[in-house]
Amino acid sequence: MSIQITPDLQENITNFEEMFSDSEDIKKRRIKVGKNLDSECYIAYVEVAISNVDWKDSAVGKLLEKLRTLPKEELVGYVRENYYDISDAKPFETLEDAAQGMLTGDALFFLDGYNKAIKIPDKGYPGRGVYEAESEKVIRGSNEGFSESIKLNTALIRKRLRSPHVKVKETFVGRRTNTNVDLVYIKDLIHPEILSQIEKRLQEFEIDGALDSGIIEQLTERRKYSPFPQFQTTQRPDRAAMAILEGRIVLLSDNSPVALILPTTYNTFIQTSDDYYSRWEIASFTRVLRYAASFLAMVLPGLYLAVTNFHTQILPTDLLLSLAAARQGVPFPAMVEVLIMEVAFELLREAGVRLPGANGNTIGIVGGLIIGQAAVDANIVSPIVVIVVALTALCSFAVPNEEFATAFRILKFMFIFLCGSLGFFGFLVGFLAVLIHLSHLESFGIPYLTPFVGADLNGYQDERDTFLRLPLDFLKKRPVYTRQGARTRLKFGGEEKRNGEGK
Amino acid sequence: MFADNFKISLRQIRRLFVLDIFGMSSLVLPGIFSAMTGADGIFCLLFGAAAGLLLLWLMGAVIKHFGDDYYSYMKDTAGQVIADVFMVFYFLYFVTLSGYVVYELTALALSWLWPEGSFAGVSIALLLLAVYGSVRGIEGRARVYEIIFWFLGVPLLLMLLFAVPEVNTAHWTPIVYSGVPQMVKGSVSAAIFLLPFSAMLFLAPFSRKPQRLASCGVQALLVSLLLNAVIYLILLGAFGQNAMGVLERPILTLMGMVKLPGGFFTRQDVLMTAVWFFALFALLNTGVFQGTLILKELCHETKHNYSLYAVAVIAFFIGKGLSEHRFLSDIYKIYQSFIALPGMFLILLFLLLLHQVKEGGKAGKEAASNEEG
Repeated sequence: MSIQITPDLQENITNFEEMFSDSEDIKKRRIKVGKNLDSECYIAYVEVAISNVDWKDSAVGKLLEKLRTLPKEELVGYVRENYYDISDAKPFETLEDAAQGMLTGDALFFLDGYNKAIKIPDKGYPGRGVYEAESEKVIRGSNEGFSESIKLNTALIRKRLRSPHVKVKETFVGRRTNTNVDLVYIKDLIHPEILSQIEKRLQEFEIDGALDSGIIEQLTERRKYSPFPQFQTTQRPDRAAMAILEGRIVLLSDNSPVALILPTTYNTFIQTSDDYYSRWEIASFTRVLRYAASFLAMVLPGLYLAVTNFHTQILPTDLLLSLAAARQGVPFPAMVEVLIMEVAFELLREAGVRLPGANGNTIGIVGGLIIGQAAVDANIVSPIVVIVVALTALCSFAVPNEEFATAFRILKFMFIFLCGSLGFFGFLVGFLAVLIHLSHLESFGIPYLTPFVGADLNGYQDERDTFLRLPLDFLKKRPVYTRQGARTRLKFGGEEKRNGEGK
Repeated sequence: MFADNFKISLRQIRRLFVLDIFGMSSLVLPGIFSAMTGADGIFCLLFGAAAGLLLLWLMGAVIKHFGDDYYSYMKDTAGQVIADVFMVFYFLYFVTLSGYVVYELTALALSWLWPEGSFAGVSIALLLLAVYGSVRGIEGRARVYEIIFWFLGVPLLLMLLFAVPEVNTAHWTPIVYSGVPQMVKGSVSAAIFLLPFSAMLFLAPFSRKPQRLASCGVQALLVSLLLNAVIYLILLGAFGQNAMGVLERPILTLMGMVKLPGGFFTRQDVLMTAVWFFALFALLNTGVFQGTLILKELCHETKHNYSLYAVAVIAFFIGKGLSEHRFLSDIYKIYQSFIALPGMFLILLFLLLLHQVKEGGKAGKEAASNEEG
């Protein structure tokens, strides 16, 4: 049952203070207003969310200043007529709504005789501001990264997409956190079914708290047991803007610097922002490298085991002899040897991530160089295994998206077991299983392997931006995520608009 | 939406059929031809392809007459009982095909990839994969083969190119010397390997353009024919008729002989086995999927996947039987030559004939009523 805000200020204060009893961080002030200071108002706010240095420069201060110049009987009329002079001010009729408004980081204003509370924005909760993105580094292009403030993040996207067609749909998730979630998209580019699908999925669950976009991601994914993510994540506003231009939808969650992009495919995980900022030859070369890296990050240790344990006839005799010589004195079977090194490497990686910056780097050096060398000297592992594991690690780092790379890191262990026990047959069985799984996987109705499959849906245009990123002149059409009739993204002078398609 | 509509593109169908036809035929046919006909095997391939074209033409004609569902069309045209008999015929074909492919694929894996393995272990692993591949319908299955088409095709073409220096063209002669019975036997063998095309009749509901299925099949047939012809000529040139006749899978032996420029890998046969592994798996998947589809129709199963598991279990036992009892292989060959092959043609001819008779009857009645009117 909601509590209505009444014209009786004392009643409102009593109800409000009861609601926020034992909340020392909520500051409440009764302030005299009116020309003769014969009326009262009440201001409540979350400590540190409101400037406490000089109220006079804030919207709250200016409002109070004005109210002290007016006679008592004009106060309510003035506030009712003029509150919208303050940007983003919002009136509430119930105490619950008003409390929610205050908890977004704004001040709440009650006035004696007025049956509404007004939310007055101020500096809001403290945040980091715009910093450099910590992942998805690029050689060329913007270095701005998303922060924890959803308002800042939407503004960073707006800054790049200055079009009235860009829409921001707001919703709230989390019964107790009431986390603000924004869906950002270009209305005339998206498939409306995808928007309604994500909206429906956001309504399908009720959770007490959604503290990061990762929680929303897991609750809205359809294939929960797949190691492959069905949302693309990014910390880069330019990547998000690019996705929106492709007719995709960006989901921003308050308190999370990670945006979710949907729908997504294998191909989009391999793409980076600077693929489009750099020349096509360089972009294509690195694209091919990344595809190869994603494959090798999964299968390299397994293939090493299959070849050295089962199919030695493939290798030249010299190489085979040097491999055998390198393994001399190692007491473990090759599979155990690889597993020891892989687990050690994963431990190093985890330790490096958890430790503060400088220490994390030290762990890498200590682990990679000293422990690796010591393990070889002590005959625990052979040098070739160190090389294989290091190469595998390099490959997993070359995959631009952390969540996507993690899927390959996990599957790598499956291949180690399969190839270590069944040889090349195990490799083929594992590869086929992964391929079948990927071919079944979809992200919001888009096959995960698009455009390698179903390329006919967009007239085979999407194949121009896969292994090779063809020159921009060739990429005149938006990908299949864009609705039919709005797929033209590039035109040159003299080229007529066809079929009413617009940019 | 794009996916989940249970429709696949013509490109996916074409690639599916190329892999279905090419895998088994390139593995087995060269050995059969060299033992029977020598260089005349090329003519057997051509005659077989001609029979395949005829089959595709008949299927195209039948597909034109039904909107979506072949079973309903058969019921409408020939009645419930005959339609059920025909469905059982198709079911038997696809389920025995699955069993035969399980046998061949397991033998391939045990010979070239995992000699320490057991028949049961390998075949169960393969059937589990086939079930996993089929359980979510045709879209996922088609996507797998759309993807791996080039992954298999490019290395194969390169290897064939590198194998050309091994060819001794003197082995290509003499031609037109084998007798008519051998040529007929060879052509029948070639035609048998094209029978998986009959899956096309059941693909109409899954195709975005069902009317173009037959032409899509023709393209797949021509690609397979070209590949098989090139492979046969290379094999014949490399080994000669006599040597090839004793090799179990000459194409894989050739892959082991080819020297790659730069020569890092000393033998590629294990790596190249992947091509046939995937191609035969495609055929296994086709057999299991089509068998399941037909059994589901016959049993009116809509929700569960019992038919799928049943087909997989039957295929396993057929495969195991073929591996353990040589005479079952002979029976299977007889079944393929004297029941499956003619049956596929006769069913289509019968349906077309009946359709014509019915249409003629309808037209006659309409003309008579018009005259009366």
